[in-house]
Amino acid sequence: MELLSSLIFMLVIAAALLGFVMLLALILVLAERKVSAYMQDRVGPRRVGPFGSLQTIADAIKLLLKEDIISLQADRKLFILAPYLVFVSSFAVFAAIPFGRNLIASDINIGILYIMAISSVVVLGIIMAGWASNSKWALLGAMRSAAQMVSYEIPLALSILSVIMLVGSLRMQDIVGAQSGGLFSAQNRWILLDNPFTFLAFFIYFISALSEVNRTPFDLPEAESELVAGFHTEYSGMRFALFFLAEYANMFAVSAIAVTLFLGGWSGILPGYTFLNGVPGFVIKVSVLVFVIMWLRWTLPRLRVDQLMSVCWKYLIPIAFFNLIGVGVWILIFD
Amino acid sequence: MRAYFRNIYAAVSTILIGMRITFKEMFHPSVTNQYPYQYYFEKRKNVRGIHKGFRGQLYIRMEDCIGCKKCAMICPVDCIYIETSRLEKGITLSDTRAVVRLKDQTVWIGELLEGDEKIEPGTVVKLRDLDGNLHESPSEHVEHVVTSKKRRLKLDRFDIDMSLCMFCGLCTEVCSTSCLYMTQTHEFSTYDRASLLFHFADPSIYEGLTPDETETKAEDGADASEGRKQKAARRRQREETA
Ligand code: SF4
Ligand code: SF4
Repeated sequence: MELLSSLIFMLVIAAALLGFVMLLALILVLAERKVSAYMQDRVGPRRVGPFGSLQTIADAIKLLLKEDIISLQADRKLFILAPYLVFVSSFAVFAAIPFGRNLIASDINIGILYIMAISSVVVLGIIMAGWASNSKWALLGAMRSAAQMVSYEIPLALSILSVIMLVGSLRMQDIVGAQSGGLFSAQNRWILLDNPFTFLAFFIYFISALSEVNRTPFDLPEAESELVAGFHTEYSGMRFALFFLAEYANMFAVSAIAVTLFLGGWSGILPGYTFLNGVPGFVIKVSVLVFVIMWLRWTLPRLRVDQLMSVCWKYLIPIAFFNLIGVGVWILIFD
Repeated sequence: MRAYFRNIYAAVSTILIGMRITFKEMFHPSVTNQYPYQYYFEKRKNVRGIHKGFRGQLYIRMEDCIGCKKCAMICPVDCIYIETSRLEKGITLSDTRAVVRLKDQTVWIGELLEGDEKIEPGTVVKLRDLDGNLHESPSEHVEHVVTSKKRRLKLDRFDIDMSLCMFCGLCTEVCSTSCLYMTQTHEFSTYDRASLLFHFADPSIYEGLTPDETETKAEDGADASEGRKQKAARRRQREETA
């Protein structure tokens, strides 16, 4: 009985989160189209619903109604499994993201480690999709994405490690709690402003995270101009929609993690100031970061493969190591 | 080592420059021309309209066509179909109207008072249009003059298949009376290809015409040209009073 009720409780939470992610994707896709339109002096979608607000819903319905094509040469089982793997692993990240004081699906004591681990599974799904499609575009995209994600996981982990060193806990709520002082107080400031090394760590995290979620300028796995659509070239209809959903869910997830780790999470900007405390503040901070990701996408061209690797191995990783040592020394001396 | 850090600096600073540009661009008004809803935007934002001399749908002033078939002959895709027949004896049709086209693509239609198809430099071209207004222009500004012609044929059929037409405009250039011309209309899509075959022949302009006694006599007589002149004068008078 105990087990059953807790199972139902879990399912309800999962359903709520799923609904949230769906809604999120609807909003973010529209936002991205609007942002890109305004940056290019266009107007963006505006015919479906007021100011085009229902455009994504129309697109989603279109995708769901499309024929689901599985090519004869494809490895059927893997081909079908891959989109679910990608979506589930990016969806599972949401379980450990603290949206508010009590708004966290599961505040496990290894929260950030869990996030790192589960989000790495995405790369398996992508390789699976590329391999199973039996198409050279998809395979090339998948290989690139594997190389890219595995490389960028190192600076990502190193920058997260500096936060963990500072806080001394892997639990997400502890990390938020360590920043409860807000932006300006002397104690418990945002980790971003705690010391120069964590400031740098934020940018290392952000760049690597961009690469982790395959956003421009690191969108080589799906580079339209070279690889048609990269790893999801052969997918259509519903399965393609799942990849799409995962991309936008990922975008929100990395921004949310960045906010939680460096920008105070759901705690307010000023101590004792309740307006931006909790969910609204969290959503605003995340939206700003999401906007920056979109902004970068519509500003920067794509990197070449060799440039991509040199950015990671020659720049981000040495700097991240140096940074980690810096944080350690700082903690030894000042705390 | 210095190059290494300079490289980082260059990357970061150029990214910031780019981001500043795109951010500024967000607040620029959009340049999108929302085509079917264009009218409203054209009025509000002064979007450029259609140019003069734009080659759109063909149109013909049937009452000025003499049925010479030049247009049908020059058409590279043979999409003009003309069938003519002789007028019954004794019936005359009004002469065609003169057309003057200036170099800025203004077109005057009416009765030519001064000037000729051969445009002599240093002269003036004068024309009274159908509303009775006088137009005058030095011949340097005139591109094309077409004088009044006699109509001797009845047009039973004048069809243009716009689904074949490639809008080269050759037919309008050779037209003896400049009655075939291109309008600015460009939105005439249909759901059915057959409805792009435009029928211009208008039998009603031949209705109610009866053999003119004096005309017949004059035609038969030696001074045929005299009668013609008289008739032209009469018609001119009629048009003037009207
Ligand atoms: S404009 Fe059309 S109808 Fe006239 S000559 Fe060219 S193709 Fe023929
Ligand atoms: S060239 Fe002009 S006048 Fe001659 S048949 Fe064609 S439209 Fe009529």
